[in-house]
Parts: sequence; C-alpha cells; structure tokens
Amino acid sequence: MAGDLLGQTVDRVQFRVERGKVLELARATRATDPRHVDAGAATADGHPDSLATATHVVVAGHHRDQQAFVAALGLELRRIVVGSVSWSYERPLVVGDDLVGTRRVVGDETREGRRGTNRVVTLETDFVDATGAVAVRQREVLIERGTP
Amino acid sequence: MRDPVRAVLGTRPDPRTVGPVTQTDIVRFAGAGGDFNPLHHDPAFAATAGFDRPIAMGQFTAGLLAAWLTDWCGVEHLRAYTVRFLAPLLIGDTVVLSGEVVSLEQTTPGSALAGLELSASREGTPVAAGTATVLVSGP
Repeated sequence: MAGDLLGQTVDRVQFRVERGKVLELARATRATDPRHVDAGAATADGHPDSLATATHVVVAGHHRDQQAFVAALGLELRRIVVGSVSWSYERPLVVGDDLVGTRRVVGDETREGRRGTNRVVTLETDFVDATGAVAVRQREVLIERGTP
Repeated sequence: MRDPVRAVLGTRPDPRTVGPVTQTDIVRFAGAGGDFNPLHHDPAFAATAGFDRPIAMGQFTAGLLAAWLTDWCGVEHLRAYTVRFLAPLLIGDTVVLSGEVVSLEQTTPGSALAGLELSASREGTPVAAGTATVLVSGP
C-alpha cells in the first residue's frame, strides 16, 4: 500500500564502468565527444580513462531484476510509466570505476489523474565508488497509471 | 581538463535532430542499458498497454538529450540534470534536442554555474523537458 515502503531498500547492484558499455551507450545516445570512446583523448585531457556518458548508470538495468522489484513494490508493469529522472554529479564516471548502487524508496503516494488514481513512487539510488564516496545520485519517479 | 564552455544568459547551443527513430535504435539502447521491458520491443505487449506500437524508453530520450548537452559543455562540467517525460516517443518520430541558458550564478571570477532549460520535441511538441546545471566560463 502507498506509504508503507518508504525508506526501504529496493535493490543493490554492483558493477564496473566497462569500456564496451561506455562505447555502446555513447553510440546509442549519439554522443560525439571522442573522450567517451578514445581513452587517449580522455587521458590527454587529464582524465584517468575514457569518460562515461552522463546517464551511464542506466546500465544498472542489466544487474537488476525488473520483474522482482516491480512485484516487491506491488506495481503492475504494464501500467508503469517513468515520470521523470534526475541525476546529480559529484564527478564524471570513468572506465574502471567500481560502483555500488543502492536504491531506496523515498516517496510513495497516490494522486488523482485523468484516468483514475495514480500511484507515484520515487526511488533514489546512490552510486558509491571504491573510496566510499557518492559519485552520482539518481532519482526516478515511477507512475502507475490508474484504471478508470 | 577541457575548459568550461563560454556561456551567457540566452546562449542556445546548436540544436540536434535525431530520427526518424527506428525499432533498431530502441533495441540498441535496450541492449546497451539493460532495459528489457517488452513495452519497448514487443508489439503485442505494447498493445496490451494501450500503444499501437512499441514506444521508446524515457531513458533513451534522456540519453539523447544528455549526450547533446554534454557534447557542448563537457560531461565533467555537468553538475545536475533532470528530465520529465511528457509524451511517448514513438517509432518513426524525429526529435529535436535544444536548450537555453536561463540563469547564471558566478562561482569564482571567470566561472559560473549555468542553469539551462532543455527540450526534446517532435514537430514542435515537447516529448520531454529538462533542466541542467553546468559549469561554464562566464564574464
């Protein structure tokens, strides 16, 4: 029920920022900055390795069980739309970064929509690097559309 | 380190046009990112959700808009980025990515945090709207 899940950890993922994934996401999002795909261009510019694209942490999807977390939240997949996503950055991610992302429920409420009562669930993920520092924080607002 | 881009109030980086979006584009992003919700590749499932064809995931639009922005400002200078999804992006749509500097807050002499309003539009109608905070070179 709405509200009951507040503060709960939804899932935790652990992954390395991989060169191939950075390349795939740069191509898939039409990024043209050579520092995403050419380590030499990135290191010549003072970075430890190639720079990940701004929304790279979307790869957490590979490490998550979508069906499981949707079920855990009591949501119905075919009625979910993503309302918004936001990111805040402490530093750019680079190839070789080891990240742990812990996703928590930070909001769970119902709102009246045009097609009935919508449930709005807000999830926040801190992506922490090997030093224990948060590198990127992501917030997603999921909307479960109401049935008329 | 690449210098922050120069920007003033009203600066509008050159817009970028992407499309028409194909099922292949969506599948490429799904494979890269790991979003295998069938809404984005299975027409029969999409139909049960009320769509006449698969729709792109919001993260695809967010990724396109972010890539356009950071190609201009440098990803290491991006401090915050938010995207709200307003309408589904469909196969066959052509999307125009654009934005404008709407605020500037000086941090140190010669540099500032710029606030941008961003848009991903289909035939003039926004499918996503966003905001970003970017470190720029200022007056």
